[in-house]
Amino acid sequence: MFRFRLRRRAIACGGFALAVAGMAGLPSTASAEDVIRIGAPLPITGPLAPEAIKQKQGYDLWAEQANKAGGISVGGKKYKVEIVYVDYQSNTPRAVQATEQLITQDHVNFLFGAFGSGAAKAASTISEKYKVPTLAATASSSQVYDQGYKYLFGTFTPNDTLTTPLTKIVKAKAPDVKKVAILARNDLFPLAIAQEMEKSAKANGIEVVFFDKYAIGTLDHSATLSQIKSLAPQWIFITGYINDLLLARKQMVDQQIKAPVVTMIAGPAYQEFIDALGPSAENISSAAWWHPAEQYDGKDIFGKTSNFVKLFRDKYKTEPDYGQASAALCGALFQLAIEQAGSLDRDKVRDALAKMDVVTFFGPVKFGSNGQINSLDPPVFQIQGGKPVVVFPQAIKQGDLKLGVN
Amino acid sequence: MLAAQVLVNAAVLGCLYACIAIGFSLVWGVLNVINLIHGSLIVLGAYLAWGLYQWIGVLPWYVLVVAAPLFFAIGYLLQRLLLNKVITAPVLVTLTLTFGLDLILNNAMIYFFKADYRKLTLVPSLGSISLGGVVVPVDRVIATAFALVLTGLLYLLLRRSRVGRAVVAVRLDHDAAVLMGVDVKSIYAIAFGLGAALAGCAGVLMALIFPISPLTSSAYLGKAFVVCVLGGLGSVSGALVGGLALALVEGVGAVVVGPSYATTLSFLLLIVFLIVRPQGLLGRKGFE
Repeated sequence: MFRFRLRRRAIACGGFALAVAGMAGLPSTASAEDVIRIGAPLPITGPLAPEAIKQKQGYDLWAEQANKAGGISVGGKKYKVEIVYVDYQSNTPRAVQATEQLITQDHVNFLFGAFGSGAAKAASTISEKYKVPTLAATASSSQVYDQGYKYLFGTFTPNDTLTTPLTKIVKAKAPDVKKVAILARNDLFPLAIAQEMEKSAKANGIEVVFFDKYAIGTLDHSATLSQIKSLAPQWIFITGYINDLLLARKQMVDQQIKAPVVTMIAGPAYQEFIDALGPSAENISSAAWWHPAEQYDGKDIFGKTSNFVKLFRDKYKTEPDYGQASAALCGALFQLAIEQAGSLDRDKVRDALAKMDVVTFFGPVKFGSNGQINSLDPPVFQIQGGKPVVVFPQAIKQGDLKLGVN
Repeated sequence: MLAAQVLVNAAVLGCLYACIAIGFSLVWGVLNVINLIHGSLIVLGAYLAWGLYQWIGVLPWYVLVVAAPLFFAIGYLLQRLLLNKVITAPVLVTLTLTFGLDLILNNAMIYFFKADYRKLTLVPSLGSISLGGVVVPVDRVIATAFALVLTGLLYLLLRRSRVGRAVVAVRLDHDAAVLMGVDVKSIYAIAFGLGAALAGCAGVLMALIFPISPLTSSAYLGKAFVVCVLGGLGSVSGALVGGLALALVEGVGAVVVGPSYATTLSFLLLIVFLIVRPQGLLGRKGFE
């Protein structure tokens, strides 16, 4: 059985909605004996919808592959996988409600975390309370993992693992870079990564001549960019989501702002970014947690990285990015942990996750004592000739960092 | 030099804001309808420009010729078939209706165009002109010029043409206009059609400048709302003055107190205006 349900609970409907949700849950619980149900609260509608769709693609691909192979084997018996989606409408408080609903009404065995650091942190309080092992696919900020929780695990390394290698490469390749300007979206992840960048720059002797935040929903960056231009930094570092970064890059071109190094996080890993900007995307550097060029020989269901890329391409006709890959990885890790535990017991699966030390298509996976992965070297890449080219780490390097963004 | 650059940026952005707001202001002023579908119509205009450029390479300013009548027809029909049925009801009813229409149009766009952000990138790019160290992007200048032309045309239409005089008459005194033999329902439809046409044209011009996605519609709507309150309803020049005031506050605010407070500052100004001068800078009494 391979079934997905999308449900949206109207708070206003109160008891009625609860009754309907309860009834909808009945047939599934009846067949729960041979099905493993994993709950996935996602922002399927609202401003974060594009991100939710990416994550869902990753989960779906894993579930499809797992079921195609007969399911997950638990103590000699095969269980099929079912992912139960709940839309929290890009509204963090609703992500918390959705998580509780998945546990208490849908009776899921395990959980995937909500999207991003903010919502994943908020929802983790609930999964911890009910002791449900949770894998967060897209939460990187350390504030998510420093709560002392035992049932939360995440597959993104801390933010500084993105900025430190980048700073080192820039320093080695462009010793003339003495001044950096940092502009951040005033939002949990974009701001956290900008603060890491500030630390990395200072630690490497690069002067931070500008550090400021812009409000969510800003329609124009011209005044701020004029100010940055007047300070003549050699490195411009802008964080935000794809819409912010498209606008900022366009306005940099408009105002003829040039710099040897321009870094943007997190947008350039997406094909839409390169398509939308055309030639002005050239030489923009970025970092992400995974890249399709990686070559690992995994022990998980996907095996080699190239096999994952191929399966993804066949199903969705596009290249996978780090968000989609991380979501698929979370499914694959649950599968490994359940098989290792030989049981669906939540505590045993939790212990198997905590002890996990395995190479996957995504890279080596080992969780630190706080639950956050600590075994990965996230790649640094640059858009060259309209394609993302990996410049770090050495093992999967495809080219050298080029200077000059015009 | 920084000050000059910031002022020039604000002047250009102000005209773009005026362009976004003018149709909204017209509909609000004449029909007393807060048209929540305005933002989505702008986005639809942007998709039209983007689609025609990607598909057959038509430059956005030529798309205006198609967009204006097309969006006029959409607006005219919306008013004739739907809004006119409830136009005499309290303002909350028309607000709810346009809210519902906006949900439908916005979700239809997400369904058909997806929520991915797109960008109309001209090849070769228009570049920027540099005047004594102050840089002005050519696409913004073109959009500004068209925004001014559209505003001028609307002004002439309202002042000089028979239909325009009728629109103004209905706006000034609904009952007197009826007594003078003006077909009010049809004037309403024309005014809403004009508002939609201006939204569509604004979208075509904004496609050159902003990333395109159904998710941006609320940002356009928010700006239009602030511009109308600042500039005042009931006059064409109000939108222009409101747009310039908003852009100036945002631009100078971003440099002086930081970009994260620029939006807060503009909304603070909105609140102050609502309390102290509800008719706006150029609005006429009775339209607040």
